[in-house]
Amino acid sequence: MKIVRPKGPEIFDIELEKDLLAKNRELAKENRKRFDRSKILAVDVMGSIGSGKTSLIKAILKRLGMGKRAAVIAGDLTTTIDAERIEAEGARVIQVNTGKECHLDAHLIHQAVDRMKLDGVDVLFIENVGNLICPGEFPLGAHKRLVVTSVTEGPYTVVKHPYIFREADVIVLNKMDMAKPMRVSLSKLERDARQINPRASLIKTNALGGGGIPKVIEALGLKR
Amino acid sequence: MHEFSISDEIVKNVLGAVKENNGKKVLSIQLEIGELALLNVEQVTFWIREMFKGSVAEGAKVKVRTIKARIKCESCGYRGGMNLDQQDPFRHAIPYSCPKCQSFQIDVEKGRECHLKKIQALR
Repeated sequence: MKIVRPKGPEIFDIELEKDLLAKNRELAKENRKRFDRSKILAVDVMGSIGSGKTSLIKAILKRLGMGKRAAVIAGDLTTTIDAERIEAEGARVIQVNTGKECHLDAHLIHQAVDRMKLDGVDVLFIENVGNLICPGEFPLGAHKRLVVTSVTEGPYTVVKHPYIFREADVIVLNKMDMAKPMRVSLSKLERDARQINPRASLIKTNALGGGGIPKVIEALGLKR
Repeated sequence: MHEFSISDEIVKNVLGAVKENNGKKVLSIQLEIGELALLNVEQVTFWIREMFKGSVAEGAKVKVRTIKARIKCESCGYRGGMNLDQQDPFRHAIPYSCPKCQSFQIDVEKGRECHLKKIQALR
């Protein structure tokens, strides 16, 4: 007599090598290839809330006078405030609203670039969400990473956020004209930045007044 | 940071892989998280367990292996671990400096991973 026993549950393993942090890196590389193919210099502008990212981009655009040869992707949780401020300089602008994400990621940039007409564009500024913590961990594929902090945030922003300053190619200390009333030492901020990142270009600016802007343009490798 | 969204990604990957392989119940998953991944392991485990509820992975064990950091110092040439104190509650304030010469000019060779390595399931 044949006895058929029901087949019992079988334990099995699924082996994966899923690197969850790899996706952003891969997309960043793709973005970079795309920029290189179109001969566009891409700059990731990061900085704390209210540090002067938009003002800095505006001042650079004004000084360069490139009109439609410049493009900007403005990132924020909500509103089109930054995009509107920059539009006045004549550049092509697109606003990315992340909703709840506290930083831009390579995927969002990939999508934004899909929606923009970038022929004839020489430089693309990507204004990241105001945040000195998360953006440092999410490369976008830009050629240069610029981090701006201002004296109105007090004397400790650099020492308290070493990771993002470590990743910077250009470090901007903005609102230098406010150092005295804020009782913040610009030279101490410079020393802090130098200690974390001896290689980055370090520039003091007054974005609203235009001070230091030519040096930033030079440090980014931009030409008129 | 971003423990919630990474946990969400992990859960999606687990449930997807189990479905593809006709699994009926998940017994455990194996993760590898680097010391310098800036992820709080307890939070990640918590969120994964929460998100597993109501699915075939409910109650599954979440095993995490910590990958020790390995750095190369560009200033003094030191190559090795960072001697991070595992018990230090302020671990998230890791200064990323060379344990030998305190320089910040270091290359992180290992320790920033977040890998989903293995799923053990029943079918």
